[in-house]
Amino acid sequence: MNAALEARDLIKRFGGLVALDGVQFAAAEGEVLGIIGVNGAGKTTLMNCLCGLYQPDEGEIRLAGEDVTGRTPHEIAARGVGRTFQVPRVFRRMSLIDNLLVPVLRRRATDRALIDQAETMLERMRLIDLRHNFAEELSGGQQKLLEMARMLMPDPRVVMLDEPFAGVHPTLCRFMIEQIEAMAAERKTVLLISHDLTSIYRLSHRVLALNQGRVIAEGGVEAIRGNPAVIEAYLGA
Amino acid sequence: MNRPNPSSRSADRERADRIYYTLAALLGGAVILYFAVVPFVGANLAFHFYLMLWITMASGFNVSSGFSGYMPFGYVAFYGVGAFTTAILVKKLGFPVLLALPFSGLAGLVLALLFAPTLRLSGIYFAIVSLALAYICRLVITNMPEEMTGGSFGIQLGSQAEPVLSFYVMMATMMLALGTILWLSRSRLGKALRAVRDDAEAADMMGVNITRVRLYGWLIAAFFPAVCGGVEAWYTNIVDTETAFNTLITAKTVIYAIAGGLGTVSGPIVGALVMVWLDELIWRQFPLLNLLILGLATVLLVLFLPRGIVGTLLRWRPAWRRYVP
Repeated sequence: MNAALEARDLIKRFGGLVALDGVQFAAAEGEVLGIIGVNGAGKTTLMNCLCGLYQPDEGEIRLAGEDVTGRTPHEIAARGVGRTFQVPRVFRRMSLIDNLLVPVLRRRATDRALIDQAETMLERMRLIDLRHNFAEELSGGQQKLLEMARMLMPDPRVVMLDEPFAGVHPTLCRFMIEQIEAMAAERKTVLLISHDLTSIYRLSHRVLALNQGRVIAEGGVEAIRGNPAVIEAYLGA
Repeated sequence: MNRPNPSSRSADRERADRIYYTLAALLGGAVILYFAVVPFVGANLAFHFYLMLWITMASGFNVSSGFSGYMPFGYVAFYGVGAFTTAILVKKLGFPVLLALPFSGLAGLVLALLFAPTLRLSGIYFAIVSLALAYICRLVITNMPEEMTGGSFGIQLGSQAEPVLSFYVMMATMMLALGTILWLSRSRLGKALRAVRDDAEAADMMGVNITRVRLYGWLIAAFFPAVCGGVEAWYTNIVDTETAFNTLITAKTVIYAIAGGLGTVSGPIVGALVMVWLDELIWRQFPLLNLLILGLATVLLVLFLPRGIVGTLLRWRPAWRRYVP
């Protein structure tokens, strides 16, 4: 059976810097794959390659068996991939509802049906009372929720969350954890980048540890927790 | 806290839409009525002709800047090419003026397609390249054979002048521009354009084909100034490169659009109305200091109302955004 998302020997260079050096992994449907690593390990670069923002210099990316290497971001999004960003990238001068409509603009449904769906999603993310505000008027945490809502609008099969808990209040953090658990329960494949190891260990079925663009460990939470290479990379011990 | 349920939200949406379209119809009706009677009541035809021209130009610019996030400092290129297209077709090829005008729009679209590769630039780089391309257009036309473009004397359209008819054609062009932008403001293309304006990479990753969307916006923005150039050539009965490619045309378009507020349908209308009237009043009182005082007024406006008149109003009253076209 094909993995929902697969990377094979990905290499990405920026001039002389090798940001990804032969990264490979496979994530199954409904699996939460945590991606950890210190700053500069290549986590966000990996995500940018997977969603088409960067083109890998070598290697292959497959979505449910289909080779999508070299595809543009909107082509990959159309194949059911959604993502959020480390620093929220909302459409600042658009209302929350319009923000949510952007990923479904090409859908053959009436505007009214799409707006109803957007409002249901905003209700789920507890942003319904702010639906007519511009996104720039939200707090940082609310913008993270808006991004999550926007990502979920087209019902993607694969979701990529880049540091969803960074700079977020613990209450909101708990709420986001519930949402990520719900995504996995909906059989979505979740790629989760975070420095918050507690959340990563709690949510992930498997963890991929990166260091200097390479996979230094991959496996279950317990195996990663005790892995000497991971401990060394994180603690320098 | 009492949250609105789906049915009350739906009713609220319908109410907001009703108000929006009613206001749009009232605004459109008032504009039509105001301009339609100008030739009959003996008002200044030229002043009102140019008022409509600036509303159209500012509205077209609004698509490029307010919706798409591009600041084409060479916007006059479309206007100039449109003016020369009409003049050449009428004077040299014997086209009837009304048949030549759609070709001016078409020339604007062709030029926009030629300039389309510059859409991969952004910010000041796009603005400067666009300005350079406008100069290139001017130079190309200036250096074309004199029999075709009339050289430094330009082209006189001869006995084609029909001030009242060209006034109404300008009015039709303006209404077409306003109708297009009203549609755009509520359309899926308009939402895609705004998303690309705010964050192109994020929009791309949300499934928006940014290259295509930008091109559509660019084509709409190019069409109207080209037609304006054609109609103005007809109205004044003469075209030359000095006036048709005058950078003051871009400058005024930008000032009027920004003064009203980019990104709304009504902003460029309000901006052009206020600034053209202001320009006229200043010119009457201080004919020698006209541009200096207008420049000062623009500086003050941008300093104190950076989002323009309508934009600032909607910032003070965010709830009105849903109702104001």
